Amino acid sequence: MRDISFMAATLEALSEEMAKNPRIFVMGEGIGQRGGNFKTTHGLYDIYGPERLCDTPICERGFVGMAAGAAMTGTRPVIDFMFSDFVLDAVGEIINQIAKMQYMSSGRLKMPVLLRGCIGIGHSAATHHSGNYYPMYGHFPGLRVVVPSSAADAKGLMKTALNCDDPVIFLEHKEILSIKGPVPDGEHFVEFGKARIVREGTQVTVVALAHMVHKVHQAATKLAEEGISVELIDPRTVSPLDSDTILQSVHKTGRLLIVDEAFAPYGFGAEVAARVADQGFDDLDAPIRRLNGAFAPTPYSPPLEAAIVPNVELITQAIRDLLDE
Amino acid sequence: MPIPVIVPRLGWTMEQGVFVEWLKRDGDTIRIGDPIFVLEGEKATQDIESTDAGVLKILSTGPRGGDTIDVGATVGYLLAEGEVWNGTPGTVTAPTAAAAAEIPATEVDEDEPVVESNAGAGTSRQKITPRARRVAGELGVDWSDVDGSGAAGRIREADIRAAAEESISIPMVASTPTAPAVELSAVAASNARRTIADRMLASAQQTAAVTLTTHVDATHLVALRKQFKAAAGDPTEVVPSLTDILVKLTSVALKMHPEVNSRWDDERIIISDEVHIGIAVDTPQALLAPVLRSVTRLTLRQVAVRSRDLIERARTRKIAVAELQGGTFTVTNLGMFGVDAFTPLLNPPQAAILGVGRITREAAVIDEHIVPRDRITLSLTFDHRIIDGAPAARFLDSLSRLISNPAPALIV
Repeated sequence: MRDISFMAATLEALSEEMAKNPRIFVMGEGIGQRGGNFKTTHGLYDIYGPERLCDTPICERGFVGMAAGAAMTGTRPVIDFMFSDFVLDAVGEIINQIAKMQYMSSGRLKMPVLLRGCIGIGHSAATHHSGNYYPMYGHFPGLRVVVPSSAADAKGLMKTALNCDDPVIFLEHKEILSIKGPVPDGEHFVEFGKARIVREGTQVTVVALAHMVHKVHQAATKLAEEGISVELIDPRTVSPLDSDTILQSVHKTGRLLIVDEAFAPYGFGAEVAARVADQGFDDLDAPIRRLNGAFAPTPYSPPLEAAIVPNVELITQAIRDLLDE
Repeated sequence: MPIPVIVPRLGWTMEQGVFVEWLKRDGDTIRIGDPIFVLEGEKATQDIESTDAGVLKILSTGPRGGDTIDVGATVGYLLAEGEVWNGTPGTVTAPTAAAAAEIPATEVDEDEPVVESNAGAGTSRQKITPRARRVAGELGVDWSDVDGSGAAGRIREADIRAAAEESISIPMVASTPTAPAVELSAVAASNARRTIADRMLASAQQTAAVTLTTHVDATHLVALRKQFKAAAGDPTEVVPSLTDILVKLTSVALKMHPEVNSRWDDERIIISDEVHIGIAVDTPQALLAPVLRSVTRLTLRQVAVRSRDLIERARTRKIAVAELQGGTFTVTNLGMFGVDAFTPLLNPPQAAILGVGRITREAAVIDEHIVPRDRITLSLTFDHRIIDGAPAARFLDSLSRLISNPAPALIV
């Protein structure tokens, strides 16, 4: 076990799996000699060369479509989006082709494509570089949608993704890339669809993803000093979603808050709330609450940007309010 | 407009009841909570409290003592102060007719505050969380009088648990009902008999009952009971009976083997956290099993006081229906009739029932000497759908050990 950053953990996962599997190759902008805008491929070009680290022009639809074709022929492409906002140009390829191809070919064609990119609000990146797209991808059958919050999970989930025959959308919150955490030595895999109980508690269940896991953890630590016991659950994958762990927690606590940086309408929190209302109705001792990022384009202005994201104070207050219900 | 007075459901399976008598007269002013009439349910009679206020209107066509009436039927009406009965609703009984009669729009007086119809359950307007409702069911708490601590008075789990605690700590003397004893009609007796018949037949047909019997050395148990008797100074003091001690020991054994403290619920097994033990009581009218709640949380003395009160009220039929429901296990003692062992029928949906036989003085061989010992026979019937033979045997073994040396388990 050693402490490494989230980004170093995914780099390790990619490097290990590329060494084992010659069919893995990476495509994206600036991922060759430059080593990736977020150091996602740092040092790999020197080892694996230009054939397996293909720099592309700014042409998202083109290289995502190429990945679909490459996967059909038996390779395992890794598409590095840098910012996942710009892959919206290629959503037709992802949803209409990559996600559906196994079904349309009756399973004869596998689509082991890993589509990775940064999400999230912060650093005044403004509205073209701040989106959270997991609710959208989670809506469609045929995709696995991974949203890690810790270095260990990032490594374990990426290694699982690089061994998965289904297309995987791997979304990395850019505000947590440099956060270090303990990562097991050697082979480390994390199964899709298994939530992590980040901290155990008895009075309220909070479900959060990515950056929000860290903020809720801070809020929970603060509340623990007052004797308020929060159970924090990180589902880690949005699709498949581990309802069982959430339901078991709500069975214990009777209260559920979903803290989500993404927009509320038709979102991740709505899905979690619906499942718990349906299957855990008799466990609820209060209404289910959501705390989301504001339903607005992300501002560039730092104070405005800060104002639209759930922060520790808002999360603390939301938990207190829920306990008073 | 007139508010119908409706026949409530006193138990889950109750479809009909017997109207016993009015406790108020036509023209009496009724406040919310006033006992208004007496209703005979499946096994017990209950004073029905009014969920609304008004002036009682009893129709000449209404039910008379001994009449069988449907759940949901209207037995009378409450009128607003000064409201004149115009006879519109006509004959009472069918709930649909009453509901239809309630509607005429022309009757609504715009100047009068609209009185909300109670439409059956008086508690339906009180807010309660789904979890609190579930826990209330598990603990057998009637939440209609519970104050909610949540937003806008919503009842939460904590309120139900507090109410359950409170009901345990209330001294039993206070719970003697003030209602007059009700004379039973022949119809009522057969009503209770029919319920028992249905339940016992269902038990025999729908469970996989297996009975285990064992002989236990009860010398220490008998001695302990003698100590309580000898130590009792005041003749009014409640001395724990053998059944009380056995009930308490059974609760200890159930905590050790929670799978026995369970029930079958539509393809699922539900293990109860709380131990609520029904004590089978032979009453002049019928066999009843009033439920002693949260036995593990009661001292032996509380068990004795509480069970005596329950048994007494069961025999005199002053027991509320709620006190006959929610058991997780049943104890039935036929020892006083000279019975050694028997095969008790399960009390569905409970998973097991303990039959207690008589205590006999027998010759036992201890250390190669023949010595007189008190022996008791236990008969444990369990539902093999829920529990296997070995766990049931382990439970019986634990209970036997507790009976052989009862004192340690009772001093907690």
